[in-house]
Amino acid sequence: MPVVEEQAAAMKLLIVDDSMVTRRLLQSCLQKWQYEVEEAEDGAQAWQRFQQGDFPLVLTDWLMPEMDGLELIRRIREADRPGYVYIILLTAKSEKENLIAAMDAGADDFLAKPFDAGELRVRVREGERIIGLERKLAEQNRQLRETQAALVQSEKLASLGQLAAGMAHEINNPVAYVTNNLSVLRREVQSALELLRTCRRAVAGLPNLDPELAAEITQGEQACDLAWLEENLPRLFAASLDGLGRVRKIVHNLRDFARLDEAQLDELDLNAALQSTLEVLGHEIAVKRLAVQVSCGRLPPLVCQPAKIHQVFHNLLLNAIQASALDGRIELRTMPGQDCVLVEVQDHGCGIAPEHMPRLFEPFFTTKAVGHGAGLGLATCYGIVRDHGGAIEVSSQAGRGSTFRVRLPLRPRPPELAARPSSGENPTP
Amino acid sequence: MSPPPKHPILLVDDEPEMLFSLQGLLRREFELHTAESAAAALEVLQQHVIHVLLTDQRMPGMTGIQLLRQVKAEYPATVRIVFTGYADIKAVIDGVNHVGLYRYLTKPWDPDELIQVLHEAANWYEERAARQQLLADLRDHVQAGELLAQGGPAPVAYADYVQTGRHLLQRLDRALATRSEA
Repeated sequence: MPVVEEQAAAMKLLIVDDSMVTRRLLQSCLQKWQYEVEEAEDGAQAWQRFQQGDFPLVLTDWLMPEMDGLELIRRIREADRPGYVYIILLTAKSEKENLIAAMDAGADDFLAKPFDAGELRVRVREGERIIGLERKLAEQNRQLRETQAALVQSEKLASLGQLAAGMAHEINNPVAYVTNNLSVLRREVQSALELLRTCRRAVAGLPNLDPELAAEITQGEQACDLAWLEENLPRLFAASLDGLGRVRKIVHNLRDFARLDEAQLDELDLNAALQSTLEVLGHEIAVKRLAVQVSCGRLPPLVCQPAKIHQVFHNLLLNAIQASALDGRIELRTMPGQDCVLVEVQDHGCGIAPEHMPRLFEPFFTTKAVGHGAGLGLATCYGIVRDHGGAIEVSSQAGRGSTFRVRLPLRPRPPELAARPSSGENPTP
Repeated sequence: MSPPPKHPILLVDDEPEMLFSLQGLLRREFELHTAESAAAALEVLQQHVIHVLLTDQRMPGMTGIQLLRQVKAEYPATVRIVFTGYADIKAVIDGVNHVGLYRYLTKPWDPDELIQVLHEAANWYEERAARQQLLADLRDHVQAGELLAQGGPAPVAYADYVQTGRHLLQRLDRALATRSEA
């Protein structure tokens, strides 16, 4: 009979007894009750089997050649295996001291020999129940750890947001006047240069009148390389203003992340929005010869800050494009959910290294080379989606690609309480 | 012919570098006054006629909006502009509801746009001043008409009175045509 691993009913049991008759009897009972059974003739063989397979339940005889039941139990307990192993000791010994020794070794339950089928059934079922509980506990534990990690992450991002807000404020003013000063300088230097050109016309006749002054002027012109200045000053100003423009853009994005600017709410047709985002990115898609597969679900209108939502999908798509290799494929899916809409952006590109995953949404975290992205794209997405009361998650395999999933409520609502670690202490009104 | 007089503008910002920078940009086209606080700005207003006031919002002591509330009460003709690095919704609401703001500008700014906005603000000041003048002239005219009607010693001859009336009508026509919203 083929064994389907996922089926919870097919619990694997290991039965250990040096008596073939006992083994046969046990096996026939247990198989009748739909358990999957393996057997071993003694402790040593059982230990070998145990190490190779995954047996949550072990039924073992006490007295056996090679390795007895208690030694087997001790080894199983010392073994570092995931999940609890429930052990039932089959024994004819029923003295109190014997039972204490067996429990000390780590047995969970006893079954007296010769065994009664009914008793076997309830004892095995009890073992099964304990293992079920243990597994549920382990699963809940895992979920708890994940939730806690997510809380730590959102708390970290919240404090980074405050930092970003403060920085944006502080940087804004000096950037404003430095930008302005440069514009003023450009204008004034232009005037000064024009005046200088006028003056130089007078210099032509100067050598006759005042040869010393004329020499001084020529020397001065050479020292500051006036020709170079005249040619390159415009470029110096333009490059500086361009650089400041970039600083302004970074500050602007930081403000988006830290939600300093409140935008207007409006209804948005998300499918149309994605289409227009694709058009905006048409050039980037064409350059890489990417195939973009769009599958649009029927979506109700979404009340949101349209410009910001546009920005989220622009950033996600741009990331997908940049992650993809030439001739790659990007999939874009939208679907309605319970009081929400879901959007998935999937690429089959380079993927995200596991060690980068926890920091993905941090501002200024980037794997791109210096100068090729400030690391604000995903941070901004996170901030915007959070402010709409939605969620953004990612699954990725290095070398296989990434999928970003965005869930947005049909109307924005305050970020979920679960995202605020301190909310548990506040009484809810 | 001398160039037209420059409009007097008052710049208020607690950051001296900001004031210096704005002076560099605007000095050619406007007559500039500066103040590093709302209190200093009120002193300047006592001594000079100011056509346009451009103030930062966040300053220690009195905020820009608080300053403009007082300016609106005491110097209603001065055109009021807030100029800030913070998108502060409350300040915007106060500005619209209580201060009669002409503009709400954000830093960083585009130099050419700022000059443009200040010219528009100065024009707005002139338009309103012209309207005030027109209103005063109309009052005088009505008064002169009353005196003429009484048959007593009138300040103007009847023919002049009619002529002035026509001129006033033309000015009113123009004023109504160019009326823009504050």
